[in-house]
Amino acid sequence: MSDSSASSSKSAPLLSVNEVSGLFESAKKYEELNVIGTGAYGTVYKARDLLKGGQIVAMKKVKVALTEDGIPLSTLREIALLQQLGAYKHPNIVRLLDVCHGGNSLEREQQLVLFLVFEHVEQDLDSYLKRAPGPLADHRIRSMSFDILSGVDFLHSHRIVHRDLKPHNLLVASDGRVKLADFGLAKTYDKDMRLTSVVVTLWYRPPEVLLGVSYNTGVDVWSAGCVLAQLHTRTPLLPGASDSDQLHCIFRLIGRPPRAEWPENVSIVIDSFPEYPPQDFADVFPRIHPHALDLIQRMLVFDPAKRLTALDCLEHPYFTDEPLT
Amino acid sequence: MPYWYYDKKDLLTTPSSRDGITTEAENRYRKEGARFIIDTGSKMDLGYNTVATGVVYFHRFYMFHSFKTFPRYITACCCLFLAGKVEETPKKCKDIIKVAKSLLTEQKFASFGDDPKEEVMTLERILLQTIKFDLQVEHPYGYLLKYAKCLKGDKAKLQKMVQMAWTFVNDSLCTTLCLQWEPEVIAVALMFLAGKLSKFEVVDWNGRVPKHTAWWDMFVEDVTMELLEDICHQVLDLYSPQTQPPGAESPPGGAARALPKNDKRPSVTPPASVSPVAVNTNKPTVTPVKNGADIKLEPPKMDPMRFTYPAYPGLAPYPPVYSAPPPNIPPPPRLPIPTGPPPPLVYSEPPPSRFPP
Repeated sequence: MSDSSASSSKSAPLLSVNEVSGLFESAKKYEELNVIGTGAYGTVYKARDLLKGGQIVAMKKVKVALTEDGIPLSTLREIALLQQLGAYKHPNIVRLLDVCHGGNSLEREQQLVLFLVFEHVEQDLDSYLKRAPGPLADHRIRSMSFDILSGVDFLHSHRIVHRDLKPHNLLVASDGRVKLADFGLAKTYDKDMRLTSVVVTLWYRPPEVLLGVSYNTGVDVWSAGCVLAQLHTRTPLLPGASDSDQLHCIFRLIGRPPRAEWPENVSIVIDSFPEYPPQDFADVFPRIHPHALDLIQRMLVFDPAKRLTALDCLEHPYFTDEPLT
Repeated sequence: MPYWYYDKKDLLTTPSSRDGITTEAENRYRKEGARFIIDTGSKMDLGYNTVATGVVYFHRFYMFHSFKTFPRYITACCCLFLAGKVEETPKKCKDIIKVAKSLLTEQKFASFGDDPKEEVMTLERILLQTIKFDLQVEHPYGYLLKYAKCLKGDKAKLQKMVQMAWTFVNDSLCTTLCLQWEPEVIAVALMFLAGKLSKFEVVDWNGRVPKHTAWWDMFVEDVTMELLEDICHQVLDLYSPQTQPPGAESPPGGAARALPKNDKRPSVTPPASVSPVAVNTNKPTVTPVKNGADIKLEPPKMDPMRFTYPAYPGLAPYPPVYSAPPPNIPPPPRLPIPTGPPPPLVYSEPPPSRFPP
């Protein structure tokens, strides 16, 4: 970057920083190609990095509401964290390549368009599963499961909760490795970016989120459990049609929780749901290895405190017992 | 990820130098900007991490922009403002500006324009883009403490040495060292210097293996004596009285043609006179160290942000510093060692667990 074009107005006693701010919209070095996906919190474009020989990248456009004191602290913290995470080069985390901004957006003065530039991975797990000609081999399922849980454990060990794990933002690299994408900026999204018009898939949401009570890293374990199940069946495990239908789907599978476990301060009363008995997972997943079954069952537990942690999952016999028979 | 370290020759061909500013003048602007961030931060009770992060932003910013285009004091304010948010010790922009105004001459404050807050807001976006949103900055402080924990020897002396090294790290912010070396290397060099000056000779350390010739071999590789001495001298040069030629270039951006007296003084003047902020005399100046008790190598509080060092008047600028102790060992720096828990702003969260790369 050079400031050669910035006027060095020696004569003027004051140089307004506004005069040169237009020079630094480095989002212009990326050429947008097409929309990869529109999520609840922003649009992801496939783009070409014009400065790096046309390397293909995934560029996520996020609009940040500016506060009275500029860019919100939470946004800056999260960007800092993403940059920090990048330094670890974890194999199951999509690489953040660049962050830039496009200046103030035209529509609103008090808004800044941020671009998070990530490595581009051609395929996501959703399309991977749809294209699969038949059931995935057991060893494929296991290694993909391990990849997902490794990525989740990595985020959790850095105090990041993904909150929106689903096949759409699990990317499948050409070597078959799975990488988590679309993490971070969760707080930013929460405060500034809630777009009600976009339908967010509920299928991977844990009960505590659907009930609107506080939640923690357990949400990702639940979502990962749903994804792991889907690796075996290639169809979504809990395809609810609405918030309440999603809860019905969940309770039909794992049973309505005991009254004692129903969280306090929830507007939905437990009696809105019939006393669904828990299903036998072996009936839901026929022909699945008992270790895999046990792992998924322990991830899909109503009480987040009783769910396995991501690290527990990685140490489960499903991964540690060799060979898988 | 951006790379932020430069060769000495890169530091001579900065945007400012291309803009006709001499290296001496640029270094002075950098020093003044850093000092200003330190002073403003101290006055606002910001922690050393926040202040240091702000200063590093400042130095990085001027690797891409000229001091003629961006007057240093408003940039400094913006760096501190951003660092406050990133380090989760936010201060309101208008409060920073208020403190800045109190520390600057009217002429220098004029560089903030008619609407200082708006200027800082605009500058924040330029700053972010310039530093490529690489917000997380590491500083030598944590490494000092980490290294000190491994060293064996007299606890009181060790503590004194760490305190001195801590002050050197504070002062090193006024140099371009953070643009040349990783914080680990700076920490090693300044602890080496403090060891020499406080006569704390490290003869043994935990984790020693036969191939180690010095304690720092445990932490950094390929650090030569030449490198250590070069780094030490860059810091020690701060304490040597600076002669400012009368016709020295004035700062750009309409800032003072007539420098206030303070600017011409060597920065080693005792804190009360150099700092516009009154030194808090309530704080203990002598650190009580219980004999034999396990010392707590916790960071000192904000006071060390000042140049608490008296000048080393009799000190020859080169090897004598290392081969022989200075005629007068400076008194222990006035760093109160907190006996209780560390200051809240400093360690607001536990260190992240390291994931093996």
